[in-house]
Amino acid sequence: MISVKNLYKDFGKLRVLSGLSLDIKRGERVVLIGPSGSGKSTLLRCLNQMEEPTYGEVWLEDSLLTAPDPYLHFDIIRASRTYQKLVAKGMSDTDCIQKIKAEDLLKKHEGKAYHSMMKTLEKENRIDINLARQRMGMVFQHFNLFANMTVMQNLTLAPIKLKNKTPAEAEAKAMELLTRIGLADKRDVYPSTLSGGQKQRIAIVRALCMEPEVLLFDEPTSALDPEMVGEVLDVMKSLADEGMTMIVVTHEMGFAREVADRVLFMDEGQIVEEAPPAELFANPQNERTKSFLSKVL
Amino acid sequence: MDFLQKTIELFTTERYVESLFSGLWMTVVISVAAAVLGLILGSVVALVTIAPKSRAIVLPKALCKVYITIIRGTPMALQLFIMAYVIFAIRGFPPVVTAILAFGINSGAYVAENIRAGILSVDKGQTEAGRALGLTGATTMLRIVIPQAIKNVLPAIGNELIALIKETSIVSMIGMYDLTMAAQVIGGGNNMASYVVPMTAAALFYLAIVYLLTFCIKLIERRLRAGDQR
Ligand SMILES: Nc1ncnc2c1ncn2[C@@H]1O[C@H](COP(=O)(O)OP(=O)(O)OP(=O)(O)O)[C@@H](O)[C@H]1O
Ligand SMILES: [Mg+2]
Repeated sequence: MISVKNLYKDFGKLRVLSGLSLDIKRGERVVLIGPSGSGKSTLLRCLNQMEEPTYGEVWLEDSLLTAPDPYLHFDIIRASRTYQKLVAKGMSDTDCIQKIKAEDLLKKHEGKAYHSMMKTLEKENRIDINLARQRMGMVFQHFNLFANMTVMQNLTLAPIKLKNKTPAEAEAKAMELLTRIGLADKRDVYPSTLSGGQKQRIAIVRALCMEPEVLLFDEPTSALDPEMVGEVLDVMKSLADEGMTMIVVTHEMGFAREVADRVLFMDEGQIVEEAPPAELFANPQNERTKSFLSKVL
Repeated sequence: MDFLQKTIELFTTERYVESLFSGLWMTVVISVAAAVLGLILGSVVALVTIAPKSRAIVLPKALCKVYITIIRGTPMALQLFIMAYVIFAIRGFPPVVTAILAFGINSGAYVAENIRAGILSVDKGQTEAGRALGLTGATTMLRIVIPQAIKNVLPAIGNELIALIKETSIVSMIGMYDLTMAAQVIGGGNNMASYVVPMTAAALFYLAIVYLLTFCIKLIERRLRAGDQR
């Protein structure tokens, strides 16, 4: 459903993601763990293009979310001037492509054929990022409820604006979800009056009101007082039970163990190891995974 | 006793009352029109300065920067003179318009800086949450960021408007008849022959206007603060 291809992200000179690939199936629950600074948030934010990747592509089903990356398409590389110059010098096709990829040789202008292929690829596959984001909800560490709006306005703004719902329809949906998390009585209050746990549950509901196909969670419980972590995890577990596709960055190993289909361990911008939770926690293969887990478990 | 007598004289002589109120009217007209111009100009300039970088916006951004730098770096009186004696040195050009433009353009630069700071002071997470839902940058700005920014900048904008009202008193320097000028003319006349009373009256008028404005801003602030009762 989501497909990440050879993703790189640089912040200036700092390389935060380096050549990361990942496929996520519909209905899958993936938990991302890893030391601080390993690029977990950056990866999540590259999925919905809150950060623009430096190289690589992100696909949502058949739709390209990023700009096309020529290095992923051999036929496009072959159309480039750089390639043709190298071939003219007598280099073999595979060597050429390898060299171009390894040394990042493609330039801004690579000839008509190259650019028309890039354009076609983009035109045929790329979708408006705002449309894609409607299909991928995101839940933040710091909730980010709109401070100038009541709970109900928080929940209905996007559905009314973007899904052509009437206010009544949007409110009915929001009420249904609010009732489910037991916060129906908070519909008309402002976020500043809520506890952290309530805010985060409402933030989850806000994402759900858009009826997304996948939810991205970036440390949803890290900013909460310990006694509120449970109520948020419970909401997340019930979503998982309903088959929601979820990608969760968290330090809650218990949650990972209970809910995840797959746990990915990230370090230095790469996925170092991945396995079902029982396997990864009981029997990590990689040294870095072992040392990380020994600290957090 | 003299003071009381002169006060009575000031407010019972038709000529004086007329002068005073026509001066007051001029002050109000210039202030209000310049404030409106300044707010509009300031908002536009602020939005341009914070707009994401793109090729089309480079030139407007540079122009806005120059505008703000020049206006904030030179004295108001000089700007007024340049407007009156250089740019609009056209025979018969209404001086009110000159004054409104001068003060509006001046105020716009300060308003722009205030609004820019106000928008930047809104938590980045608010924008991210809006964009992550699929809202466009413009909708997010309009519905989420700007309402919060307005609340943040209202006090600063209020101060700017108060400063503007008081600063209009320098229009007498280009020969316009505002409240300050009226007081001066009345006081300097042979019949009154005292500055104390007309100046005090003018001061009270200014105070009243500023007080009224402060009150209105407090009122708006209280309304906008609905969101953060803690
Ligand atoms: N906007 C940015 N500009 C510059 N550097 C950034 C930016 N965002 C993240 N970084 C850097 O990228 C690296 C990875 O950050 P990221 O937030 O993805 O890590 P993380 O795995 O989520 O860590 P944590 O567990 O602390 O949240 C860090 O070194 C961080 O300083
Ligand atoms: Mg993070």
